[in-house]
Amino acid sequence: MSMFTYAGFVLGVMVVVYIVAKVFKLSTELSMFAAALGGALAGGFWIPTRHIAEGAMTYLDINLIFITATLFMNILKESGGVAFAVRGILKRFYRSRTLLVILLTVLLLLPGALTGAGSVTVLITGGMVAVVLETMGVSRVRTAAIVFIIAGLSAAAPPVSLWAMMTAAGVNMPYVGFFWPLLLPCVLLSLVTIFLLGWKGERIDLERALGELPQPPDRMGWGKVFLPLIVFGLLIFIGRHWPHDTPVLGLPLMFACAAGTSFFLSPVKLDFLKISRETIKQLLPLIGTLTCVGVLVQIMTLTGVRGLLAVTAVTLPVALVFATLFIVLPVSEAVLMWGAAPVLGVPLVLLFNNIGLDPIVALAGMSVIWPLGDALPPTAIIGRLTVEVVGFKEKYTQFLKACIVPGILIMAVGTLMVIYSSHLTFLTGL
Amino acid sequence: MTFLQSVVSVLYYLLVAYVVVLLVWNFRRSRKWDEEVLYIIVLIPFLLRLFRLK
Repeated sequence: MSMFTYAGFVLGVMVVVYIVAKVFKLSTELSMFAAALGGALAGGFWIPTRHIAEGAMTYLDINLIFITATLFMNILKESGGVAFAVRGILKRFYRSRTLLVILLTVLLLLPGALTGAGSVTVLITGGMVAVVLETMGVSRVRTAAIVFIIAGLSAAAPPVSLWAMMTAAGVNMPYVGFFWPLLLPCVLLSLVTIFLLGWKGERIDLERALGELPQPPDRMGWGKVFLPLIVFGLLIFIGRHWPHDTPVLGLPLMFACAAGTSFFLSPVKLDFLKISRETIKQLLPLIGTLTCVGVLVQIMTLTGVRGLLAVTAVTLPVALVFATLFIVLPVSEAVLMWGAAPVLGVPLVLLFNNIGLDPIVALAGMSVIWPLGDALPPTAIIGRLTVEVVGFKEKYTQFLKACIVPGILIMAVGTLMVIYSSHLTFLTGL
Repeated sequence: MTFLQSVVSVLYYLLVAYVVVLLVWNFRRSRKWDEEVLYIIVLIPFLLRLFRLK
C-alpha cells in the first residue's frame, strides 16, 4: 500500500466514524474524539495513549485563557457592571441613534475580543443589547442577526482570536502582528452590520428599555466597571514595554488579576466558587472541543493524514482556493467548529506562505470568515444560542436569511484580505 | 527576576489545581453520560500539568 493510499484510507475511516457518531447524536467534541480513535485503529496504532495525552495537551494554554477570561466577564456581569454600563450608555446617548449604535457595537465586541468566544458575547452582553435594539424599533430577527454577526466578529477580534492562535500554533508561527489585521476588519464590519440591519427603526422608548434591563446595585459606578479593564490593559502594556525587566505573566494570569479586581470591587457579595463552577459548565463545549481537536490533530499527524491534507492543499490551483474560501471556511467551521483552524487552516497558511502572500494578514482574513459557520448546521452552536437568548421563536431559516447580506460582505472582505495580503503587510508592523 | 518567574509558575500550578477541582466538582454533579466523558477528556491535560508529567 502506498503512502498516499494508506493516509487516504485512514482519513476515510476518520470521516466515516465522525459521520456515524453524529448519526448516533454524539456531540461534535466526542465525534471528533471517536474519529481520532477510529483513525488510530485503522492506522494500526490501536489505542495510542501517549499520543492521546500529547494531543490533549496541545491547547492547554488556550483553555486557560478561555477559563480565566470568561470568569472575569462572568464576575463583571454578576456584580452588575455590565447592566450598569448598558443602562449608563442608554441614558446618556439615547437621543443620538448613531452614537448609541456605535457604543452598542463596542459593548458587543468587548467580551468576545477578550475571551475569544462568541458565545461569551451572546451570554454576557447579547441579551441586554438585544433589549435596547428592540426598543429602538429593530425587528427581532434583525436583532438576532446583529448579535450573532458581531459576536462572531468579536471572537475573531484581538487580543484573543482562537482561529488565528490555533492555526499560528500549527505552523510554528508566533501569535504576533495580528492585532491590527484582525481589529480593523472586525470593527469596521461590525459597524457596517449594525448600521445595515439596525439603522431603520423608530425613536427609542427609554422608559421601556430601562424597565426591561436588569437593575444594577446602587453602589456600582464607572470606576468599578473600568478598573479591572485598566488593570488588564496595564499588565499588557508593562509586559510589552519592559519585557526584560518584568516576569512573563501570560494572558491567563492577567485575566485572573482582572477577575480578582472585579471581584473585590463588586458592590454585592459574590459567590466566587459558584461563578467559577458555572463558568466551567458554560465553557465545557469549547474547552472540550479544543482538547478533542488536539487529540484529532495528533492522530492525524501520527497516521500521515495531516501531511496528506497539507500536500493536497499546497498543490491545489491557487485560483480554486481563493474562489472557494468563502464557502469552505464556514462549512469546515460548521462541521469541526474550532477544529477547522488546525485541520484546514494550517495547510492553507502553508500554501499562502509558499506563493508569497503574507501569512499573518491572510490568516487574519480567514479568521474573519470562519465565525460565519457557527450559524450553520450540523453544529450551529452560536446561532442557536443567539436565537435562544434574543428570544426569536420563528423559523431558524429566517434568522439565516437576515444574516446573508452582512455575511456576504464579511466573506468578500476576508477573501480580499487573503488575495491582497502581501499589499497589507504594513498592518502587521503598526 | 528568577524568583518572580518561580512565583508566576507556582501561581499557574495553583490556577490549574483550581480548574481541576472545578472540573471534578462539575463531573460529580453531571447527570449526562456524554458530558461526563467530556469532563474526563478535558481533565487529562490539566492533571498531566498538575502532576508535572507534561
